[in-house]
Amino acid sequence: MTDLIQLQESIWARHSYLILALPLLSFIINSLLFSKKKKISAAISTVLSGASFAYVLGLVIPWFKIVLKAGSAPAQILWNWNWFPMTENFGVKLGLLLDPISAMMLVVITAIAFLVHVYSVGYMKDDPGKGRFFPLLSLFAFAMLGLVISTNLLQMYIFWELVGVSSYLLIGFWYHKPSAVAAAKKAFIITRFADAFFLLGIVIVAWMNGSVDFLLINTPEAAAQLNRTVSLGFASFNALSIATLLIFTGGWGKSAMFPMHVWLPDAMEGPTPVSSIIHSATMVVAGVYLTARMFPLFSAAPFTLEVVMWVGAFTAAFAAIIAITQKDIKRILAFSTLSQLGYMMFSLGVARMGTDINSLGYSASMFHVFNHAFFKCMLFLGAGAIIHRVHSNDLDEMGGLRKQMPWTYAAMLIACLAIAGVPPFSGFFSKDEILLTALQNGHIAVFVTGTVVGLLTAFYMFRFFFLIFHGEARTEISTAKEDPWMTFPIVLLAIPAAVGGLLLHKAFGSIVIPPMQISDICFANYDWVPWLATAMGVLGIALAWVLYGRKQTDVAAVLNTEDRPRWYQVVYDKFYIDDLWLWFSRTLIIKTFSGGLKWFDRNIIDGTMDLVGAVLQRGGVAVRKMQNGSVALYLGLFFTGLFLVAWFGNLPLK
Amino acid sequence: MSLLVPDFLILILAFGIFALDLLKVPAKVLWNVAWLSLTGIFVLLNTLPAGMSHEWMGAWELNNLGLLLREFFVFSALVVTLLTRRYFFANNAQLKRLPEFLFALLVVTFGSIVVVSAKELLTLFVGLELATIPLYFLVAWNKRCSLSAEASTKYILIGSASTAMMLFGLSYLYGFTGSLNFDVIKSQLSTQPLDNLFWTSAIFIIVGIGFKLALFPFHAWAPDVYEGAPTPVTAFLSVSSKATAIAFLTILLYGPLAPIHKDLDFLLLLLAAVTMLVGNLGALRQSRLKRFMAWSSIAQAGYILTALVGPANIAKPAIVFYLFVYAFSNYLMFWIISILESTRPTTFSSLQGLAKQYPALGAALAVTLFSLAGIPPVAGFIGKLFLFGSAANAGYYVFIIYAALNSTISLYYYLQVMRAAYVTPGSENPQALAITGFDKGVSLILTLLVLLAGFAPWLSNNIHTILQTGP
Repeated sequence: MTDLIQLQESIWARHSYLILALPLLSFIINSLLFSKKKKISAAISTVLSGASFAYVLGLVIPWFKIVLKAGSAPAQILWNWNWFPMTENFGVKLGLLLDPISAMMLVVITAIAFLVHVYSVGYMKDDPGKGRFFPLLSLFAFAMLGLVISTNLLQMYIFWELVGVSSYLLIGFWYHKPSAVAAAKKAFIITRFADAFFLLGIVIVAWMNGSVDFLLINTPEAAAQLNRTVSLGFASFNALSIATLLIFTGGWGKSAMFPMHVWLPDAMEGPTPVSSIIHSATMVVAGVYLTARMFPLFSAAPFTLEVVMWVGAFTAAFAAIIAITQKDIKRILAFSTLSQLGYMMFSLGVARMGTDINSLGYSASMFHVFNHAFFKCMLFLGAGAIIHRVHSNDLDEMGGLRKQMPWTYAAMLIACLAIAGVPPFSGFFSKDEILLTALQNGHIAVFVTGTVVGLLTAFYMFRFFFLIFHGEARTEISTAKEDPWMTFPIVLLAIPAAVGGLLLHKAFGSIVIPPMQISDICFANYDWVPWLATAMGVLGIALAWVLYGRKQTDVAAVLNTEDRPRWYQVVYDKFYIDDLWLWFSRTLIIKTFSGGLKWFDRNIIDGTMDLVGAVLQRGGVAVRKMQNGSVALYLGLFFTGLFLVAWFGNLPLK
Repeated sequence: MSLLVPDFLILILAFGIFALDLLKVPAKVLWNVAWLSLTGIFVLLNTLPAGMSHEWMGAWELNNLGLLLREFFVFSALVVTLLTRRYFFANNAQLKRLPEFLFALLVVTFGSIVVVSAKELLTLFVGLELATIPLYFLVAWNKRCSLSAEASTKYILIGSASTAMMLFGLSYLYGFTGSLNFDVIKSQLSTQPLDNLFWTSAIFIIVGIGFKLALFPFHAWAPDVYEGAPTPVTAFLSVSSKATAIAFLTILLYGPLAPIHKDLDFLLLLLAAVTMLVGNLGALRQSRLKRFMAWSSIAQAGYILTALVGPANIAKPAIVFYLFVYAFSNYLMFWIISILESTRPTTFSSLQGLAKQYPALGAALAVTLFSLAGIPPVAGFIGKLFLFGSAANAGYYVFIIYAALNSTISLYYYLQVMRAAYVTPGSENPQALAITGFDKGVSLILTLLVLLAGFAPWLSNNIHTILQTGP
């Protein structure tokens, strides 16, 4: 532990605010000075983002060595600035909490941010809005970093909203497209809707517990303090359940779990680098991260964990089924992201058995966050490179691209194998652990769901893969070389996708454990689970090959969406959830509810006001009539007034 | 004795102008003498130290409140003197009568000063009459205008009735306490058992002052008189005359009548309540600006009356501050009316298209209307806040809600004036207004005063400091 104290005093830790300051600086100077000078803007953003990444490595690598040696990783607060003190022990603090999951997220965010910056130099080369793009990307990086290092719920909420704003701005980046504007609004409104519950949860925790610091609320004492009945006026609740559930609702929306998932596929209207960093690798895992961050408190509320589990498992299956039928490659990846987020979520949900905590669920979830970030980010970047080449998102326009884009092809193959859960690629390890936890803790239904979704995942990913790269080209494609600015990050990201799981799964298992009492009972080990998972992955790939990869595949028939059975249409139309939301917002909220209020406002409120107005106007007429200019009347009024004063004056007359 | 110099100067100025006029000194020169002297006196008053309470001959007193109100009355006289320029300078026959007008104006101002200096009932009454009688003749200034003559007649008739009542009430008070001196009356009232004789006197005094303040139901003269009188006189009536009456009530209620102040709370609030309601209702459907201002001023008196139920240390600063703000806003409004009057009739329709034609004048109009309606951040809002705060301090919360609702009604008609100036389109070729550099300068200063009194705390701080200084 002396090593940790030494680290805390090291130059890296003392100036660790630079991790945030560098992207913020990039945002400020680029938006103030270089919004017209696109090249300078791109260069500054990329360099500062690289510097931020380097700084994170400088901090995390020594920390990692120390904790690996010590075998445990207690959370440390490197700095905590009392930004807005309210009472003596309550206020808004901004600080840096260094623990396994924040260290992991710092590495993921800065690494991916840097690579996406590099990629964007190529991708946004000819975009007229480039000068606006880079500052926004830096703003996002700043917000996301601030979120993961939060020492308390309020700080997290502030940055939570800030990532929401930057996401909104970047989804609507091409604001001349009505669909982009609509998607941006949709994303913002749905996540804000969820955030309202999040804030309410924070208020309850702060009110009942007197603190919002993670180190203080993630304790059995805090859980015990919250574990009582509170009356919210209309009904009584267990404060622990309701607070954790409300906080989880924030993550529910941010991580786009069913039925609040509808914004994420639409968010693909943003530029592809944005989809890659925000809507697959980092921001959307914020909900999972929040659940993990609050895990000690959540795990004291079994009902909340149950909700987390079912929401996660259902979303995993639901999104995977939709992904099978989609034709827009970014949407396939979006639904895939939803499905994978479902895995991460239910992994946390199943981590409790009875009163025992199985740390494997927690570390598997975080491990999947880590692995998924790299391979999904890379899949998006690859998809972006393809879109850049064929100028379309549609599978109809692709096929046979492996010859034109060999680097991308190879990298994408690795990523697809990783997500399909084929050993030794990274996804296999985390997915296997997730399934194992579900089985160990006796959640058979979830385990079966997860296994089947594994099959579906392999299937839709290779459908995506074969239809893009194999077969004959369905449109004419330029034979230009791959842009090195774009290819370089893609290839680089293939490395963690390929070997990340193999190298790090031991470390994750031993270090990334929830900061709480963990039961030391030995959970049963099922040796056959990895084999089953692998078999599912291989089976999915084989099916996809049979249906889409072979030479004799009738691509036109498989891509036909018109002449299909009814169930296919339903899935293709994403189970009509979007329409349900539209109905919910248009018919229910706007027409019925607002309509009712409008009626009330028009008739009751306005009516009353009109009545008051009419009475006043009448009064005005009466007063005017009295003012007829006759002195006699005036004097009469005067003397009457004298008596009225005596009469009504309430004086102590005897 | 040197503290009385400003008071004497007013008197000397009044008679000096009268005498110089007889010596055929040109009226324009006298006008310049008048406004320069008033400015000088105003500055002089500001140099007087606060916190002194001086008494002369048991009848005349100079205290903090008196000092502030002296400044107020001199300021008011100064603005009206400036306002006369437009009416008298254009016409030679009129110009000849200007010194008389100024003389009357200064005598009224001196009367107001007598009221705020009074230490005994007789002085108080003389001051009040001195501040009223010249107004009768000022209202009738336009001898050939029948409206003016009619207004003056009504004013005299109702005014004498009220004077009779006031005198009657004061005589009973004297009879009951056996003294004219405020201190003796105060100690008598707190020791002696009060009987109906005394309450009769209290009622008559309040009714008497109710006339001057135009409280309902003693208000009926106001709309007719305001409309009939020449605009500078109307402006003066609405500000100085009203302020004199408020000063009179303040001095009585926090001085000799302090022991029975609590018993009068209900009556005061009742009068305030009906006055502001009737004032607001009356203003609701007006189309002539001066009449409209009469009703508006009636309602404003209701608001001011509200503050009188609070404790002295809160009520006095609230009232003085509001009087200043009210003077700024009302004079600005009347200045705009006077500009309109020289080429157009003083009706709402004359305002149409004003904001487009003269944006600066439109902005000034908006400022003064916002202030009268009490919309933040202009001064009227803070002024009303202080007034209502005083009543809140005495615990009359329901009444404040009522007053606030009334203030909402007033918003309606003030905004109607705004609508006339801003929304209603004017005629194609609107008649030009005669706006001189002098008009621009004075209305700019008044606009700035309205704005600054709301934004910056100089005025309210100053008033609070002065009222809290000394014994």
